[in-house]
Amino acid sequence: MNNRASDRSILTIRDVVKTYQMGETYVHALRGVSLDIRSNEYVAIMGPSGSGKSTLMNIIGCLDVPTSGTYSLDGQMVAEKSESELAEIRNRMIGFVFQTFNLIPRADIFHNVELPLIYGGVPRQERRRRTERAIEQVGLADRMKHRPNELSGGQRQRVAIARALVFNPSIVLADEPTGNLDSKTGDEIMRMFDELHSSGQTIILVTHEDHVAQHALRTIRLRDGQIESDVRNGDVQAA
Amino acid sequence: MKILIDIVESLKIAWSAIIANKARGVLTTLGIIIGIVAVTTTMTAFNGMQAAFRQGAAAIGADVIYVSRMPWIVMNDFFLFRNRPNLDLAEAQALERAFERRAIVNPSMHNRQDLRFQARTLEGVDIIGTTEKMPSTSDRMPAIGRFIMEFDVRYKKNIVIIGSEIAADLFGEIDPLNKEINIGRYRYRVAGVMEVQGGQTFGGPNFDRQVFIPISTFVKNFGGRRNSDVDIAVKAPTIAGIEDLEYEVIGEMRKIRKLRPSEPDNFSINKLDSLLGAFNSVVGAVLGIGLLVTSISLFVGGIGVMNIMFVSVTERTREIGIRKAIGAKPRSILMQFLFESAAICLIGGLIGITIAAGLSVAINASGLIPASISPGIAVTSIVVAIVVGVFSGLVPAWKGAKLDPIEALRYE
Ligand SMILES: Nc1ncnc2c1ncn2[C@@H]1O[C@H](COP(=O)(O)OP(=O)(O)OP(=O)(O)O)[C@@H](O)[C@H]1O
Ligand SMILES: [Mg+2]
Repeated sequence: MNNRASDRSILTIRDVVKTYQMGETYVHALRGVSLDIRSNEYVAIMGPSGSGKSTLMNIIGCLDVPTSGTYSLDGQMVAEKSESELAEIRNRMIGFVFQTFNLIPRADIFHNVELPLIYGGVPRQERRRRTERAIEQVGLADRMKHRPNELSGGQRQRVAIARALVFNPSIVLADEPTGNLDSKTGDEIMRMFDELHSSGQTIILVTHEDHVAQHALRTIRLRDGQIESDVRNGDVQAA
Repeated sequence: MKILIDIVESLKIAWSAIIANKARGVLTTLGIIIGIVAVTTTMTAFNGMQAAFRQGAAAIGADVIYVSRMPWIVMNDFFLFRNRPNLDLAEAQALERAFERRAIVNPSMHNRQDLRFQARTLEGVDIIGTTEKMPSTSDRMPAIGRFIMEFDVRYKKNIVIIGSEIAADLFGEIDPLNKEINIGRYRYRVAGVMEVQGGQTFGGPNFDRQVFIPISTFVKNFGGRRNSDVDIAVKAPTIAGIEDLEYEVIGEMRKIRKLRPSEPDNFSINKLDSLLGAFNSVVGAVLGIGLLVTSISLFVGGIGVMNIMFVSVTERTREIGIRKAIGAKPRSILMQFLFESAAICLIGGLIGITIAAGLSVAINASGLIPASISPGIAVTSIVVAIVVGVFSGLVPAWKGAKLDPIEALRYE
């Protein structure tokens, strides 16, 4: 089942360069990255600090655009999109999970998870149905009316996962999703990603930890803004 | 549908943001509150003055010309008028003859006297000597009893028709009809009570505190030389005829007084129009001051709200980043903050209207002008508050809407 949909490339990155200008100096965060990711892949991106992992994730997630090179997501060229169209793509196709959870503190869990549907213009009834289902899926049905600060770190990250999933995104992007969690809670979160993957979800995550990366089926290593290696985890074990 | 969902979400955000910052919000809305009080009070005063003017106008009559010694409004050339001869009853009768069957001509004289009923005395009451024609020139009728009749005038009857406030003050619960009262040293029988005219306006005469007696009786009882100044009301058959009537009246009066062409008029023609100018300048001053206070305080209030909104946007930079990451468009963020600043100003506006409502009750009680906040004024004030809110939120909201999502997410 895992390989059934994988003929189709969901995202294609060609020669992507990202350069930040800081006064007189230029920081080359990405220096020519090319990459294809197919539907239902489970990818870990690794690399030393400052190697460009987050920059790459931001470009994949349409939060940022490359300085040069092309990026097409589901057949659409991202470079040509307006700010508002990018927001729509993030809303419909991308589900973000952040290291620091990034929930809205004043809103309760239900509202936090409902938010992408609100920005997507989904009618109230359907919003409620989908939100409840997403929250049940991460096992927090009894916490819907709680605020984020009343939950543990692991629970918060589960809320973030529910929010990422609520609008059925094409890709779930997770930048160090276990970075702020103890190893036991981190394992729980990773098991959740495994389940998502086996139900057909495309997942890209950034991590520093090998045992987290082990969950993925493909590992891409970055160094100094370039791809150092790109291997299927089976191959690593085979080698 | 989509925009509606966006609006509902913006309202929710605005509400929770305001709840979270109660004290600060109220403080910044102070300028807005004062501004809305000013605009509401100005409009209320304006309406009140117009209503008062209309009330007075009804009693004066738009189709009536008054011939008097002095103009109603004497600006600065008082000495020009001081040596004019009084209008006397003979002249009034001459004018009446000249306009027979063409216009109603009604003379009246007035004076101040003490009124007494049993042990109760009212001092310095406006006594008006007039004829049975007064109701047709001034739209004022007795509510109970009758008005002066022709034979009262002919036979110099000692009857009196009293204003509604006089009736209340002098008689209280007692039925005034056919009771004997004293006007000065003379006894009169109460024949009627006038209907309520609606209080004092602009420090002008209080029509409800006047009493009416036949003009012939007036001359007999109070008609010394000092008191013999007559006002003559001439009612045009149609309101359109008032211009022509005015020239005719001037012509007839000059004939009666045998003025040579080179001599100026030694009497004045008064009508509603001559009050209009004075009214407009008072109203203009009130409106001007009101608008000045309003715009200054709304401006100051708007700056305050703008500052608060800048703080609000900065405080919620990270939240903006989150919302953008999960699909909020710049438009949604813009709307979120515009709703917040509009809501802050709306709350200020509602407080302002409440205060203004209290003020208008006080103004009403003072009797200066009849003032009450109309629904139209309340709605206008609310709209003004919201517009100020939207304008003061514009720049901060724009700043929030344009934030780079990555920078915003990294903010702490
Ligand atoms: N907005 C920015 N302005 C300037 N330089 C930036 C900006 N964002 C990232 N960089 C630089 O780009 C490079 C790559 O940063 P990035 O955040 O992608 O690294 P990373 O691999 O995610 O590191 P970490 O593991 O520490 O999260 C770094 O040198 C960083 O300093
Ligand atoms: Mg990073």
